[in-house]
Amino acid sequence: MDPRQAAWREGSRDMLEVALGVIAWALVTGVAMAQSTLTTPQAVVLSLMAFAGSAQLAVIPLMAVKAPMWLIILTALVVNLRFVIYSAALARPLSHLSLGRRAFLSYITGDMPFALYMQRTASDPTWSARDAYYAGIVVTNWLVWHISVLVGIALGARIPHEWGLELAGSLALLALVIPMAIKRLSTLVGVGAAVAVALLTYRFPMRLGVVVAIVAGVMSSLVIDWLVDRRLPRVTI
Amino acid sequence: MNSPLLDNDTLVVWLTIVGISLTTFVTRGSFILLGSRLRLPTFVDRALGYAPACALAAILAPELAVMHGGLQLNVQNPRLIAAFVAVICCVASRSMVLTIVLGMATFTLIRVWLSI
Repeated sequence: MDPRQAAWREGSRDMLEVALGVIAWALVTGVAMAQSTLTTPQAVVLSLMAFAGSAQLAVIPLMAVKAPMWLIILTALVVNLRFVIYSAALARPLSHLSLGRRAFLSYITGDMPFALYMQRTASDPTWSARDAYYAGIVVTNWLVWHISVLVGIALGARIPHEWGLELAGSLALLALVIPMAIKRLSTLVGVGAAVAVALLTYRFPMRLGVVVAIVAGVMSSLVIDWLVDRRLPRVTI
Repeated sequence: MNSPLLDNDTLVVWLTIVGISLTTFVTRGSFILLGSRLRLPTFVDRALGYAPACALAAILAPELAVMHGGLQLNVQNPRLIAAFVAVICCVASRSMVLTIVLGMATFTLIRVWLSI
C-alpha cells in the first residue's frame, strides 16, 4: 500500500480506538443542546458549523439568560483559544498543503485528534506521511462526532426536562477542566481564582462576571509562572 | 424584521450561532493558515494556554453552585454534590465517561430521593 494511504488508515484506526470518549462527549453535547433554549434547527446548525463541544456547552447557560451577543461570542472565543496553540504546533507539518486543504484540516481539528497526533509523532517528528496520518484522524473524528451529536439532539428532544440532563453537559466540561487544572500548579491556581471570582460576581448584570473571572484566573496563573520562573524550576504535579 | 418567522430575538440567536462558528474557524485556522514562521511572545503563549481552563471554570462554578437564584455551597445542593463526586472520580480515573455516569447517577439518586 502507498505509505500515505497506510498512514491515513493508521490515523483512522487510532481514532476509532478512542471513539467511545468522543461518542459520549458528543451525545452529551447533543442532549444538552436539545434541552437548551435553542430550537432544534438552531441546535443542529450550531453543532454542524461550530463543531466545538466545549464552546457549545459553555454558551448554553449564557444563551439561557439572554446574555449579550458579544459576551457569548467572546466566551466561545476564549474557550477555543487552546486551538491557537494546537494550530501553531500543526502549522509546519501541514504547511506544504494547499490553502483549501489547510483550511479544512485546521477547521476540523479537535482535542482528541491533537493529543493522538502529538503522541504518535513525538518519537518520529519528521515522519513524511504525518499530515496524511493527521487527516485520517480528523476526518474520522469529524464523522463520529457529527453522527453522535445528531443522535444526541434527537434523543434530547424526547427526554423530559425534569431529568436534569443538562447537568451532564456541565459534568462533561468538568471532566475537560480537571485534567487541565491539575497538570500544573499555575493552571490550578488560575482555575481556583476563576471559580472564586465567578462565585463572587455571579450577580453582575449580563453575566459579565464571567469576563472578570477569566481575567482574574489568567492573571493569577501568569503571576504564579512569574514567581516560579524567578525562584524555582517549573512545578509539575 | 418583524415577520413572525424571523423576529429580532431569533435573528440575534442566528447571528450568535454564526459568530460562535467563526471563533472555531479563526482559532483553529490561525497559524495553519497564516504560516508557521510567526512566533508568539512567551507570556501571550502562556495566557492562551490558561484562558480556556479559566473560562470553563468561570462558566461552570455558578452553574453548579447557584440554586434558586442564590449561592448554595452546602449539601442542600444536589448539583454541587454530583459535581463533587464527579471531580473525585475524574481525578482518580481520568475517564470522562465514568465521570459523567457517576455524577449523573449521584444527581439522579438525590433527585429521586428528594423527589424534586
